Amino acid sequence: MKSPWLRLIRFTQNQFVFCINDSNLSAQQRYLYLRRGLLLILCMVAMIPLIITAGLSYNQYRQVVKEEVESNARWSTVSTKQNIETFLGKLRSSISIIADAYSFMDLTQQNTLDLVFEKLKHENPGVVDLSVIGPDGVQQTYSGPFNLTGKNYAESLWYSKTLAQQSYISEVFLGFRNLPHFVVAVSRKISTDNSHWILRASIDTETIDRFLLSIHSDIVEDVFLVNSAGLLQSSSSFYGKVGAQSPLTKIPRKNRLNLVEEYRNSKPIIRTYSPIKDTPWTLVLEHTQYAEKKPWRQFKRKLLIILCVCSLLIVIAAYRIAGFVAASIRSADEAREALLAQTEHNDKLASIGRLAAGVAHEINNPLAIIHAKAQLLKDLLALTKDFEYREKFLAQLDSQQKAVARSRDITHRLLGFARRMESKLEPVWINMVIEEVLSFLEREAQYKSVRIDLDLQQDLPAITSDQGQLQQILFNIINNAIDSVDKNSSIEIRTKKVEPAAIRIEISDHGPGMSPEIQKKIFEPFFTTKNEKDKQGTGLGLFITYGLVKKLHGDIQVQSVVGIGTTFILSFPEQRQD
Amino acid sequence: MKKTISKNKVLIIDDEIEFAETCAECLALRDFEVMAFGDANEAMNFIRSDWKPDVVLLDLKMPEIDGLEVLDMIKNYDPRIEVILITAHGSTEHGISGMQRGLFDFLMKPVELDELVEKIHQAINLRLSVQD
Repeated sequence: MKSPWLRLIRFTQNQFVFCINDSNLSAQQRYLYLRRGLLLILCMVAMIPLIITAGLSYNQYRQVVKEEVESNARWSTVSTKQNIETFLGKLRSSISIIADAYSFMDLTQQNTLDLVFEKLKHENPGVVDLSVIGPDGVQQTYSGPFNLTGKNYAESLWYSKTLAQQSYISEVFLGFRNLPHFVVAVSRKISTDNSHWILRASIDTETIDRFLLSIHSDIVEDVFLVNSAGLLQSSSSFYGKVGAQSPLTKIPRKNRLNLVEEYRNSKPIIRTYSPIKDTPWTLVLEHTQYAEKKPWRQFKRKLLIILCVCSLLIVIAAYRIAGFVAASIRSADEAREALLAQTEHNDKLASIGRLAAGVAHEINNPLAIIHAKAQLLKDLLALTKDFEYREKFLAQLDSQQKAVARSRDITHRLLGFARRMESKLEPVWINMVIEEVLSFLEREAQYKSVRIDLDLQQDLPAITSDQGQLQQILFNIINNAIDSVDKNSSIEIRTKKVEPAAIRIEISDHGPGMSPEIQKKIFEPFFTTKNEKDKQGTGLGLFITYGLVKKLHGDIQVQSVVGIGTTFILSFPEQRQD
Repeated sequence: MKKTISKNKVLIIDDEIEFAETCAECLALRDFEVMAFGDANEAMNFIRSDWKPDVVLLDLKMPEIDGLEVLDMIKNYDPRIEVILITAHGSTEHGISGMQRGLFDFLMKPVELDELVEKIHQAINLRLSVQD
């Protein structure tokens, strides 16, 4: 499985499988894993479309911005190139016209040349000087600020190129004046012989610089001219003055526009190359890359903010939903477990009840024999003459019969629990039953100085139930409460009607309370917390009570805190749904 | 089987013969004429032959025959014989069912002899009042 998404899905699946199957985990951990798994899945489901949408928008907008930037770069390059070509073309045609209009002889006249220069300069302000070079390469006449008359150019590159090409625009060079300039020169034949003369105009590079400077804008960061070797033919904002070597080495010379994405000092730029027609120059423009542009940066920032806010909302929502779902599952599980435990408990009690009934029956027969034999012995002793141990015999037999009576109490209670006799159903007023039961227990409570506080709802409806069994239930619980509390303590008994159609009885004591372990066992038979010597508890009271409550279709619950007290909560339906 | 001559006749039927005999001896000491049987059929034959008891103490659960059937047999033979059911079994259903068939009372093992004697006297008194 190579895709990270598939791995993530597998991982999420594992989280579920893990939390469901691993029985070594505590319930707490299982729900934690479940919650995490849900969180992960919900986040994935919501985040994947968001991320895809954001990615698509990012790419789409980047493409648009990039194309716009490139299109602007092309446009400004083409227009700059055309301007330069127009400027140079105009200059060259002016010089050609002069060379055609005037003969070599005319222009060797200083006055004529000065006049022509003035006119030329008027039309082309960048022209610095104008000179006439004879067939021998020596400058014949010169009009301009420098004194260059008599200089020999026969060895100059531009001279030979001009003779070869008839018209020529040179690279920038220093020349005799030792200042960077370039020349526009035309050669013409002298009519008298076959030799050539040259008319040459010099233009200082500041003119070109000024011209190119006007091209700079927000997006055009640099514009300059280079020759094929990469030497600067105009000043560059980044690479230096005229004549300096630029870092550009491979200058494309194809007669079309070249656009490349490059880095200048680690900053992305777009560079365009465009050769200037009939010159050794290539126009270079450097543009701000789209990534550096404000709209793109704004877009990225907004996209990031939207992405972050949405992700945050998704995570919060997923967290809440996962928490809610996990909690719902947990509470459903707990309810099911409680129900199972309850069912198990009921089954256990029923089985114990049946078993107890069987055992009680089997025990009653031998008990009856023991009891009858003891009685017979007592009867026979009564008929016998007095002898030494007579009283002791009688005492032993009494004791034996008492022990049998105690055993009988136990077996009868067990049988009483297991018994399934028909309930006698009649309208029963719970408050009255409580008062009756209390009348039995009044003396016991007074003896222990236990106060019994009653909070009985006066308008309670009658319930259809078995009064005798209700009495037994309440007697057992209230009796236990009185037994459990210390002297001068109190017991509260509350009744109220609860929805739907049931009566609720709460019996609270301020006794020692019970630990959760004890609470689990109190309805089991033979479980007692009463001290045998003090109270002779059989451990059947609550067992029987529980059975009776269930028989009356009621419910009994216990809430207890060690050191604070215990509350038994009983509820009975108003009408039996038999 | 033991026999004691007395004024009022009591017959005990219980498969727990030791209980029946001990009980019989105790009652004999209290001036009853008592017969004790571990087998219900044998007891019935005895009743039918020549010895009609005033009161029968009857066990509910016996291996061959149910106490309630024996009750029916006794009542069919002579409805004036009063029957007290003595059982180790806790169910009062049988008691209720027995009452409907003419049972005098219902006692649970182990029985207090004084209580038993009291019941027997009540039964005899009832029988006498009916006869009157």
